[in-house]
Amino acid sequence: MQHRTNYTEIEHFLADESFRLWVHFNDDQHQWEEWTLENSNRAKLVEEARLWLLAMKAPNDTLTKDEVQNALEATWKKIERVEENKKEKPVLKLLRKRWFNGVAAVLILSLLTGWLYNQTNSDNDSALTYSELINENEEGLVEQTNNSDKPQIITLSDGSSVLLQPNSKLSYPKIFAGNERKVYLSGEGFFEISKDPKKPFFVFANEIVTKVVGTSFKIKAYANQPNVEVVVRTGKVKVRSNELISNSKDELIVLLPNQALRFVRKNLSFKKITDITQDELLINSKSNIEQLGFEFTDIPVSQIFKTIEQAYLVKIDFPQSKLKDCYLTTSLTDQPLPEKLKIICKSLENNTSYEMNGNQISIISDGCN
Amino acid sequence: MVKKQLSQTEILDDSTLWNSLKEGNENAFSILFKRHYAHLVRYGNSFIPFPEKVQDCVQDVFTDIWIYKDKLSDKVVVKAYLLSCVRKRITRSQERDRIFRLSSSIDTVEFLFDFSIEHDLISDETTASKVSHLNHLINDLPSRQKEALYLRYTQELTVDQIADTLDINYQSANNLLHRALLSLRKDWKGNICCILMLVSLTF
Repeated sequence: MQHRTNYTEIEHFLADESFRLWVHFNDDQHQWEEWTLENSNRAKLVEEARLWLLAMKAPNDTLTKDEVQNALEATWKKIERVEENKKEKPVLKLLRKRWFNGVAAVLILSLLTGWLYNQTNSDNDSALTYSELINENEEGLVEQTNNSDKPQIITLSDGSSVLLQPNSKLSYPKIFAGNERKVYLSGEGFFEISKDPKKPFFVFANEIVTKVVGTSFKIKAYANQPNVEVVVRTGKVKVRSNELISNSKDELIVLLPNQALRFVRKNLSFKKITDITQDELLINSKSNIEQLGFEFTDIPVSQIFKTIEQAYLVKIDFPQSKLKDCYLTTSLTDQPLPEKLKIICKSLENNTSYEMNGNQISIISDGCN
Repeated sequence: MVKKQLSQTEILDDSTLWNSLKEGNENAFSILFKRHYAHLVRYGNSFIPFPEKVQDCVQDVFTDIWIYKDKLSDKVVVKAYLLSCVRKRITRSQERDRIFRLSSSIDTVEFLFDFSIEHDLISDETTASKVSHLNHLINDLPSRQKEALYLRYTQELTVDQIADTLDINYQSANNLLHRALLSLRKDWKGNICCILMLVSLTF
């Protein structure tokens, strides 16, 4: 108690742990009371400091023990993920160096052994099919098949959109539960994935698995064609072979915009295409959505709707006269269709909203500001 | 032989655990996590109204600590370090977030937290009305000053550590605290006689 005789300000007491313990829990009550009463000025100061403490209660920590435990486990998982990514990188660098610097001997040797290896195994290995993959998944899936001659737009529960080409199938859960979003593709689709780093998005397409967090890309995986292709439009995409294929090595390839990957079924090998404009097969198969730009600078909204109609092959109804003087400047690249519509509606304001029914979209608006 | 038993959590202080963590002791990491997680989340929640995002940020802070454990300094006050990391992380996430880009910059992350009243420890009306008045005054302080008070008296940081957490120099941190207390005292002194009179009149 001795050094406390020098206390002249409220903050001296506030900072004193023993004082706080006394106020809150009556610790050392006797000593404090006796000391306080020794001097009337001191008593006044102590009383004031006490009131201050009473007025400065911090809310209790609201997390339960279980919640903290869960958070700890989640953190260990995060750590694991980060450490995995760290390991991944050097391998990739090595891989790239090999591709580009052409350490020819190593390459030829590895290709040769790979080829020999595959040759010996190819007899008992059949291409992984869509139906096998679907059966692997126990969750209830919704399947959409496009039997028409035009692409079809599918909106997923997370706001992502998929433009499904004719003769293609997509299976997906009604609602994405858990920490992952998984869909299954047979045929060709253009994916625009809503960003959610916490829930990576996986596309299982025959022999390959494509992983993204939020980006746009095309996958072509027809059961009756010799190759499976992934073409990236925006963002970063990781591709690996499905681990269900027994004799393929665990290869993971990262693709950036305007890069592509071709998986050759015959020998289960990957070929990375670093410039898609140099690849004839790919140039010729570009669909509308991959060619149209979505950067708009002071463009009439009717024009923007037209671009969307062409890209997604949808029909958009909107009050033409009310929106005839509306111009927008906006960037819609990399946004799934619902997100594009949402951004446009928001920019127009005045109670603008949209309704989507299959390939039919209606814009409800009172004009723009 | 020196025996280190990390199961006896009570007796191990933060800096001992910190050093074991640096050496790769997972148990030490878990103990520190459990000890600090809840109050860090509470601190984070006073900046942004998105509890899930706050928890995410706090977990990311711990993730980084483990990943970069080799590079950690051993001379930190663990609690102050953690508070400062959480604050920075949330500020940065705010900047990144496009929705907020227009409205917030690094300095405008506001401490939206309100102190409450220790009702359980107040038995008489006079004290109650005084305390409630004081509580209003405290909560009306500028957010930076309020945050400084919180760090000083709830989290029990030293002025030095507060300066680090808020990324300002020692003198500024000192000023923040000083100004907060000064203006409170002035307002309170001015009003307290009236309150006392009012209270005594009602009885």
